[in-house]
Amino acid sequence: MSSGLAFAVNGRGVTAVIDGAATLLDVIRNDLGLTGTKEGCTEGECGACTVLIDGKPVHSCIYPAVSVDGHSVVTIEGISGSETGRAVQEAFWDAGGIQCGFCTPGFIVTVTALLDSNPAPSEDEVRIALAGNICRCTGYSQILDAVDGVVSGKERA
Amino acid sequence: MKVRRVTTTEQALEALAEHGSAAQPLAGGTDVMVQLSRSEISPEVLVPIHELTELSAIETNGGARIGALVTHEVLAGGVLGSGYRSVAEAARTVGGWQTQAVGTLGGNICNASPAADTLPPLLVHDAQVELKSRAGSRSLGLDEFLVGRRQTLRAPDELLVAVGLSEAPPRSGDVYLKVGRRSAVEVAIVGLAMRLVFGEGERIAMARIALASVAPVPLRARKAEALLEGQALDGALLDEVSVAVLAAISPIDDLRASASYRRLLIPGLVRRAASTCARRAGVSYRVEEV
Repeated sequence: MSSGLAFAVNGRGVTAVIDGAATLLDVIRNDLGLTGTKEGCTEGECGACTVLIDGKPVHSCIYPAVSVDGHSVVTIEGISGSETGRAVQEAFWDAGGIQCGFCTPGFIVTVTALLDSNPAPSEDEVRIALAGNICRCTGYSQILDAVDGVVSGKERA
Repeated sequence: MKVRRVTTTEQALEALAEHGSAAQPLAGGTDVMVQLSRSEISPEVLVPIHELTELSAIETNGGARIGALVTHEVLAGGVLGSGYRSVAEAARTVGGWQTQAVGTLGGNICNASPAADTLPPLLVHDAQVELKSRAGSRSLGLDEFLVGRRQTLRAPDELLVAVGLSEAPPRSGDVYLKVGRRSAVEVAIVGLAMRLVFGEGERIAMARIALASVAPVPLRARKAEALLEGQALDGALLDEVSVAVLAAISPIDDLRASASYRRLLIPGLVRRAASTCARRAGVSYRVEEV
């Protein structure tokens, strides 16, 4: 049986009709055509599919689409439009925090959520926040450098 | 598969009464959605309960009563206070931020994984689970509720609505220690929770030890607890306690670790846990590390 949903994506109201077991990722990529969010492990381990719901990062690949009804979703496409999101993207570029790029949308989303709730996190706090995002290319140190770049850039301003 | 939309506990209980074992309650979905996609479960009706806001309450009045929908993120923030640090420590190790933000305590209990991080801390705090159905309510000890790997005594028409923890008296300390290959997003190789309540003369008035990933179900090591009660901490006593813990567990070889490695970890975990509990209780005893 299908179920109707009404929710916000990147500030815009959308509706979708979904199948019972549909994931939020299915709706974002297939129904809404927002393909910046990546499907990695499909088991909530790798973080490539991270989006924000009401400001909190979730694994959209295992998030029940039905639960998003009435809530606000921000995807990587929406993050790019925010001030923090843009600063995080530029910092990843500057620090070489990107290689193949598949994990990058998820990292940018999680880092943006962290910095919006805690503008000056310690390295430990950054590591803990990013534990649910896996990168097989960079070895993480460039990603930590990128976050540090945003934090120290803000302090200079 | 159908979705039955509900907005109150009453409606959820009606749905469960109507569909029985064909219904699957769905909270954060961090386990249920994975099990659906792997076809490990095949319910006819999903009953999403995330909108039952009355199940997100936390009361700390003497003991603690935690609504089933309280997330790991909330518990990880230490909302229960210094008497329940093991609960916060365990919640911090359940997956990463994304899992903690939506995964619920009730879900972790009902999923009844042998490796569930929150279960050993709940067991050392004498957790009672509260179950509701249209027919009524009942409460039972978490250790009775967990009957096997992914098996509980929840009847198909029942919803786990809350878990109650016993009071944390003065001069008590608790801890959760987890061994894994990395510190987060990792299924425990061994998880051990301990709680010690000290009485007069720095003797232990009450001891609780519970473990995960060492048996089909998280369990208490009752004989090991009994060895500690009435005694003051010392290294020889903790050696005996470790032997008793080892007798209580039945670890297996799996892809994360061998049974013998799991056994090898126990003495060090017991010593470190006892030392931390004593320190948190304000008792001056430092156990030598193995």
